[in-house]
Amino acid sequence: MIELDGVTFTYAGEATPALQQLDLRIGAGELWAVLGPTGAGKSTLCSLLAGFIPHFYRGSLRGKVRVAGIDVPGSSLGEMSEHVGSVFQNPFNQVTGARYTVREEIGFGLENLGVPRPAMLERIERSLALTGLSELAERSPYALSGGQQQRLAIASILALRPKLMILDEPTSQLDPAGTGQVFTLLRDLVSAGETTVVVAEQRLEWVARVADRCLVLQSGTKAAEGTPSDVLSSPEAEGWGLCESRFSRAARAAAAQGITPQRPQLPHTLDQAVEYFR
Amino acid sequence: MERIRRDFSTVTLVMIPVAIALNIAVGQLVVALKLPLYLDSIGTILVAVLAGPLAGLVTGVLANLIWTLTGLQPFAAAFAIVAGIIGLMAGLFAGWGWFRRVWLWLLGGVITGIVAALVSAPISAYLFGGVMGSGQDFLVAFFRATGASVIQATFGQGIVADPLDKLVSFLLVWLTLRALPSRFLQRFPRAENVAGRPE
Amino acid sequence: MGLLLAVAFAVPWWACYLTLGLLVLPLAALGRLFGPLTRTLWKLVLPFAVPILLIQGFFWGEGEVLFTLGPLSFYRLGLIFAAASIGRIAMLGGCFLLLSMTTRIDMLMRALVERGLPNQALYLVVTTLQLVPRFEAQAHRIQDAQRARGLETEGSIARRARALVPLIGPLLLASLMDVEERALALEARGFSRRGPRTSLVTLRDTPLQRWLRLALWLLAATLILYRLVSWITR
Repeated sequence: MIELDGVTFTYAGEATPALQQLDLRIGAGELWAVLGPTGAGKSTLCSLLAGFIPHFYRGSLRGKVRVAGIDVPGSSLGEMSEHVGSVFQNPFNQVTGARYTVREEIGFGLENLGVPRPAMLERIERSLALTGLSELAERSPYALSGGQQQRLAIASILALRPKLMILDEPTSQLDPAGTGQVFTLLRDLVSAGETTVVVAEQRLEWVARVADRCLVLQSGTKAAEGTPSDVLSSPEAEGWGLCESRFSRAARAAAAQGITPQRPQLPHTLDQAVEYFR
Repeated sequence: MERIRRDFSTVTLVMIPVAIALNIAVGQLVVALKLPLYLDSIGTILVAVLAGPLAGLVTGVLANLIWTLTGLQPFAAAFAIVAGIIGLMAGLFAGWGWFRRVWLWLLGGVITGIVAALVSAPISAYLFGGVMGSGQDFLVAFFRATGASVIQATFGQGIVADPLDKLVSFLLVWLTLRALPSRFLQRFPRAENVAGRPE
Repeated sequence: MGLLLAVAFAVPWWACYLTLGLLVLPLAALGRLFGPLTRTLWKLVLPFAVPILLIQGFFWGEGEVLFTLGPLSFYRLGLIFAAASIGRIAMLGGCFLLLSMTTRIDMLMRALVERGLPNQALYLVVTTLQLVPRFEAQAHRIQDAQRARGLETEGSIARRARALVPLIGPLLLASLMDVEERALALEARGFSRRGPRTSLVTLRDTPLQRWLRLALWLLAATLILYRLVSWITR
């Protein structure tokens, strides 16, 4: 699904590259989390996979970028939008404002792609059902909560049937309830074989619960790659600038005071923590 | 033609509705402060600087048509041409490099204000008898009392209020764009108006 | 809309009252909007009508005097001029209100796009209409927040002027920063894709509507021509 070979990108007017010599292979039907502190290159990677680099942001790009079978630098945003979908941080900014109801808002992208009306209706209903928005279909997109708006953004992209879906910190502006809705939805979509997902994220608790694989970025280079529990339990995790989950923090503190034996795998979700402290 | 297509990029198309909403929102804040200004063309001027005179013209005209449609200011449409000229002139001045010298840019604001007063006077004189239903009306009354005709009195009111208003608007736009990171400016079709030509 | 404005300038002033009485109000009544429309129109026209009457009436300065109030005289020509202005305002206001109360703007724009207007125009108009109330709400929030932090929104003019930058600066900057994300979100949904587009909503257009439109165009053109000719020959 994704093949990056030796990719280096520098934004116009900046001296240091935002991504350096990055190699990455992501297979179809996986849920990947991209981790790392602010400024590590998470957003740049998302822009690259969605084609916004080099088709929206100016800069110098070297290396091979193939996404969903398309050579990205040789393509266009119009073509990319038929294969790769993007969801962003701010739910409010993703409401186009050009349509009056949730149903029409989902239809916006389908109209642009020239999908015939009967097929459009069917795809909209399916998107609504998958994202749990069916009952809100006739509401104004502006009348939804942040979490609902973000699910609408995902529904709008989902209706385009992208082979790959890129989400750049989709829950950074949401409350815990909204965050839960979004991650549960992503896990369900991937498990149902609807799409492949790459999500840049800070909330390790949720990453540990839903992701198949993790990529850790640091100053634009790959610091680690592996399953969530391998990556998050690694003794180097703190050095990668990953803020720990409250469960692993509790476990480390407990181990330091000799309350619990140091086990190889630190807990990152509630379930793991219950098991760990038993 | 190619220049026009580049000026009306997706970023510009997205910026125009935001700019019009800004015009109205800022206009309301000014009313709340009870200042003798309108500042209801700040968004239009922003678009003009960042996306060229034609985009400024479209923003100005559309802003007033929309203002009418929302029912907030039902007669704004009559002045659409004035708003369009403001956007057009701001875009031209910025294109001549005036934005990069603050005093030239402020002079541009004053000139725009004078032109706006010249163009809007006949419209408000014929349509409304010179009355705008606002605090500026006493000025019209004052000029009428000195024996001026309706159109002269309306122009008198405009020539006092408009250049000051546009001077402040141009200044605020200048301050805002100076505060924007230059990496960010690169997204707009006419970033060179603000920062000089990119390498 | 531009055409309507031209007509407003072209027709003699008494015709404005006639149009309002014989066309706009009955149509509004037909659409069961008579009450809301007249109430809004009244609120709209009154702030103009009173000052127009006073200023034009008392400061006209020539011709027949209708009555005198202390040092001020009320002139007949001023009254006629004021009546003409108020008539124009009332007719224009009535027409626009009728339009905005009866028509879904997205349908209107969709119809115009089908007649050859670029697709982006639909986005521009409808999005602006929806963003305006959000931004107004945001302006209020900023105002409240700054007031809570003790920013002067009362007091002398210099003081209020100084409050201007902290009030609108953040609004301008944040909105410009948001433009990028909004643009990318549109691109992700094929906004700049070339090729054929389809439409979810379908429009209804009856032969009667088509004939009525044609008739209105002809009427408007005749009026403007008539006015131009009489203006040139005068």
